Amino acid sequence: MPGKTIVITSGKGGVGKTTTVANLGTALAMRGLSVVMIDADIGLRNLDVVMGLENRIVYNVVDVIEGRCRLEQAMIRDRKINSLYLIPAAQTRDKDSVMPEAMKRLCDQLAENFDYVLIDCPAGIEQGFRNAIAGAQKALIVTTPEVSAIRDADRVIGLLEANMLKDIHLIINRVNQKMIKRGDMMSTEDICSLLSIPLIGIIPESEEVVISTNRGVPLVHDRKSQVAAAFKRIAGRLEGENIPIPLDNHEGSLLSKVKKIFGAG
Amino acid sequence: MLDSIKRFFSDKKSGKVARDRMQIVLLHDRLSIEPEIMENIKNEILAVLSKYMEIDHQSISVRVEQGKDYAAIVSNVHVKRVFRQAHTHTTNTG
Ligand SMILES: Nc1ncnc2c1ncn2[C@@H]1O[C@H](COP(=O)(O)OP(=O)(O)O)[C@@H](O)[C@H]1O
Ligand SMILES: [Mg+2]
Repeated sequence: MPGKTIVITSGKGGVGKTTTVANLGTALAMRGLSVVMIDADIGLRNLDVVMGLENRIVYNVVDVIEGRCRLEQAMIRDRKINSLYLIPAAQTRDKDSVMPEAMKRLCDQLAENFDYVLIDCPAGIEQGFRNAIAGAQKALIVTTPEVSAIRDADRVIGLLEANMLKDIHLIINRVNQKMIKRGDMMSTEDICSLLSIPLIGIIPESEEVVISTNRGVPLVHDRKSQVAAAFKRIAGRLEGENIPIPLDNHEGSLLSKVKKIFGAG
Repeated sequence: MLDSIKRFFSDKKSGKVARDRMQIVLLHDRLSIEPEIMENIKNEILAVLSKYMEIDHQSISVRVEQGKDYAAIVSNVHVKRVFRQAHTHTTNTG
């Protein structure tokens, strides 16, 4: 059975697509699954530095598509996990140098040999976006609890549905429970009801993300990190495990108030 | 009156303000309907109305009206004549 091809997209830039691909890809591979991540952000290559693989790049995805190298030559194996690979973006090409049909062929070919093909989508809704979604059967929308990210997510969901890509799940990134509790951030329920697509995970906001990116080691390698645990749960849900998603409902905040009164908060 | 309501609501927490604003924004965004679909909507409205009355097909207009805190579909059609059966609830099988 061919593997799953999943595009990670958002519309807005800087909401955590690349972070999600790196951590989810690593988390899936840590479960023993074979995973290949494609950086489809042509011209703005980033996934390689987040994975700490920037020194190993020889060929890239455009080289593969244009036949300048064999597929295996452009696949960089992860430093820690043997079943995890990256196909980097081209840095010097413009994003119109790839066509959707070529991306679809590449994804289909990879899906024959891997359990998961994760595609890191560029921001925006132009050619680069169309390329990135062309080979995907499933989409993960990344948003943050901010109005502009949510609006762009809604637009992208509409475009995916118009392209007959209807298996869509939501990841809410950079959630700050303190701000939600004091009423200064949209709750995760609010966001789910606005976008009305099924939720697959909530990632807390954390300095750890920046630190792990600085080092080029995905945070899921850190056993104590809450962010790591959140990504691992998403990996489990993708694998069909029934892991409940803790929402930040009012009971939660009431409970925490009670806990505070009794000194347990 | 409106001002006092506004003042009352300005005490709302920013998270709620954001949610309420997004409800309207997304409604408006999703209502930017493509021309072909708008054409279908018009034809279907005409088809439904034609069961009950004679209407001027050229006269129909359908547009999205976007207010500050609402969105509406507004349609205008000129009615020429209303069939008598429209007032009764019997269906015409003849
Ligand atoms: N949960 C998080 N907490 C804190 N910082 C984050 C989180 N997720 C992402 N970031 C930071 O936000 C920035 C943008 O993330 P990135 O994954 O590159 O977004 P995108 O690929 O959507 O442009 C990066 O500096 C990253 O470290
Ligand atoms: Mg990115």
